Amino acid sequence: MTAYAPQLAVADSLLDLLRVTTTEPRADTQLEALTLAVAADLPVLLWGEPGIGKTAALTQLAAALDLPLTTVIASVHEPSDFSGLPVVGDDPAVQGVPMAPPDWAVRIVRDGRGLLFLDELSTAPPAVQAALLRLVLERRIGSLRLPAGVRIVAAANPRSSAADGWELSPPLANRFVHLQWTHDHDVVVRGLGGTWPRAALPRLDPERLPEAVAFARRAVCEFLVARPGLVHRLPQGESRRGGAWPSPRSWEATVRLIAFTTAAGASRDVLSLLVRGTVGDGPGLELLASLDRMDLPDPESLLADPAGAVLPERGDLRQAALDAVVAAVRTRPERARWDAAWALLVRAMETGAPDVVVVPATTLASLRREGWDVPAAVERLSGVVSLSRRADEAARRGARSAGARR
Amino acid sequence: MTADAPGALDLGKLFAARLHAARVRPYLATALFALRLVESREVPTMGVDRYWRCYVSPAFVDRTPLEELAAVWVHEVAHLLRDHHGRGDRVARERGLHGPAERLRMNIAADCEINDDVYGDGLVCPEDAVTPGKLGLPPGELMEDYLRQFRLGPGLERLAWLDCGSGADGLERAWELGPDGAHGLSEQERDAVRFRVAQGIKGVPGSAPRGWRRWAEEVFHPPQPWRQLLGSALRSVVSAPGVGEDYRYGRPARRSAGLPEVVLPSLRRSPPRVCVVVDTSGSVSDTELGSALLEVAAICRALGGRRDLVSVLSCDAAARTVQPLCRTEGVELVGGGGTDLRTGFARALRRRPDVVVVLTDGQTPWPEARPPCRTVVGLFARSGGSYDENDPAYRPETPPTWARVVTIGPAPA
Repeated sequence: MTAYAPQLAVADSLLDLLRVTTTEPRADTQLEALTLAVAADLPVLLWGEPGIGKTAALTQLAAALDLPLTTVIASVHEPSDFSGLPVVGDDPAVQGVPMAPPDWAVRIVRDGRGLLFLDELSTAPPAVQAALLRLVLERRIGSLRLPAGVRIVAAANPRSSAADGWELSPPLANRFVHLQWTHDHDVVVRGLGGTWPRAALPRLDPERLPEAVAFARRAVCEFLVARPGLVHRLPQGESRRGGAWPSPRSWEATVRLIAFTTAAGASRDVLSLLVRGTVGDGPGLELLASLDRMDLPDPESLLADPAGAVLPERGDLRQAALDAVVAAVRTRPERARWDAAWALLVRAMETGAPDVVVVPATTLASLRREGWDVPAAVERLSGVVSLSRRADEAARRGARSAGARR
Repeated sequence: MTADAPGALDLGKLFAARLHAARVRPYLATALFALRLVESREVPTMGVDRYWRCYVSPAFVDRTPLEELAAVWVHEVAHLLRDHHGRGDRVARERGLHGPAERLRMNIAADCEINDDVYGDGLVCPEDAVTPGKLGLPPGELMEDYLRQFRLGPGLERLAWLDCGSGADGLERAWELGPDGAHGLSEQERDAVRFRVAQGIKGVPGSAPRGWRRWAEEVFHPPQPWRQLLGSALRSVVSAPGVGEDYRYGRPARRSAGLPEVVLPSLRRSPPRVCVVVDTSGSVSDTELGSALLEVAAICRALGGRRDLVSVLSCDAAARTVQPLCRTEGVELVGGGGTDLRTGFARALRRRPDVVVVLTDGQTPWPEARPPCRTVVGLFARSGGSYDENDPAYRPETPPTWARVVTIGPAPA
């Protein structure tokens, strides 16, 4: 016996050495998205292959938010562990049968705050998932009610890697913000070498709260007015089952997430992860595209002050802005507005690529009315005209050579 | 706008070429205009990086005709839209391909994927464009497939100068500005551009070639292998409440011993009865049927279903024999000619199954009413024939909405 004890002490010191790691700051989009969703008090579901550090991320998050972490492995529990165990008392007819909660729930309620991590959600049988639905939605475990300070995060393995996995039912899937958890090769290699990343977590700016709420509401409402078909759409097709889909509930979550990302000043990449994880890829990307359009300058204010106009740098956005200006002139054709639009096109040509201006200029020219003289500014668009002519010639040459080949 | 100093970049020519490209490929205009131009004397011709910057050599612009420049614009933007850098990285990791030679091979394979249907119809094909035909390969395949089919050898030496930048193969070049350089597109912006291009192609599918239509369908929803989908569809119907195992109060739970006052449900299992109806009409090939049937058998076994509860029924115009799946192989399938799955369903339901799995190509009438059990349809994909070119109103009969449909096709690589 005694011969082994010193050996174990040596082993312990070796283990201690292995545990010594340092951290370095590194931007981490998915951790930022997770933090914001947890801060917004929305249940998050992390999808990821086994063993890629979902639990480690949760530990880091709990430390950053200063919340005690409780891990519950959903697949090894019975439905009654989440809905409460019926305990038969002395006189059920008078007192009723109380639903007794499990010990971890009692502990969380006593603390009043915490991070509840439901692991292996997708491998839990349907009856357990149904019981979890109540926990996630109504925040009830048996007769206990989870305090407001408790945040819920769940993890699941994707269907491809969970050999015996059940898929998530659409109602349960709709309550979560789905985040795809992937590992970054460089981070893992550097981490095994002893340096793990330390993400700077987003901070909410108290000054920006009202502005963020107004922006979020406007963004989602304007979008849904334009696309009423996307308010509610059950997932169709086999490959999209078990994931996020749009419904009034998930749009409400989207409003919340947009407000949080705005208040935190987080990047569009973070917002993209969150929105696509809440309403699904297609509707999410459409909403983001509509946000991009909201970022474009308002055509009316561009027309009001063409000389001081600031146009987007990127060519495709610039063309979208110019198209919007031409469309505004079309809806209310007046001489002054027409002239202002020409001045804008000249400005666009002088500050960026000229080919972007060609299509708006052609459309604007076709809006000319009787008695409107061509403004002097058009002279300065001659570069655009010659550009357009060169492209026309190329098209003719291309057609001729194609004809000759045939 | 024109080149005043010798060696300066002729922006006028370059922008006229982009305009020409956007006119003949209107669905790519968003992506073309989103590219950020960077003048570079180190890049041999024109190249892109993964942040949507486009590097251009002034000498290349000078010596190339405008029509060919337009074709090069479309070619470069196609690399980015099709995510060749991301796919290149993935292939490199999966197959262990390292070094500049392998990346050059990826660039050539990616060029093959693009060039077989991007030119023509107003765009000239540059003289030295790499096409699958020049390498003796069939057209219409993906970069990953081409990569398996050729090697760098004596015939390909003249391609060694070819370089479309890291946007085409994922390998960073010396002249590129990298992730921290100015005017790159973030991941979200890249996704948004690709999404808008895909929406445009899906909106007017007639004007885009087949390769682009396929890309637009799959860009945000890559197809999953049908084996996984069929497996999870089967698993979820077999294990849904009321079919497979679930909690019952019929017998006391094992935990009850520790909690004498408490009534607990227990996990009980009643093995599901599965009936597989196989369409043996002439239009389904034996290999297709064989692989799908093997898959169903394997999944049922993995689910713990007793094998004698899984039966197989072959069905053409009339339903034939019903056989229990007792042996690992050797299920006899008889049939040929037309199909009528209604008789197959009627015959299968006589055995009171929990789940009916139908393997068919879908060219059949379906039952009017929903059967009293869950249904999974494994549908063999039929490209072509299903849409009638002369009659746009023609739609083939699709499986009913109450069935879960998994399309079975060739397994993606």
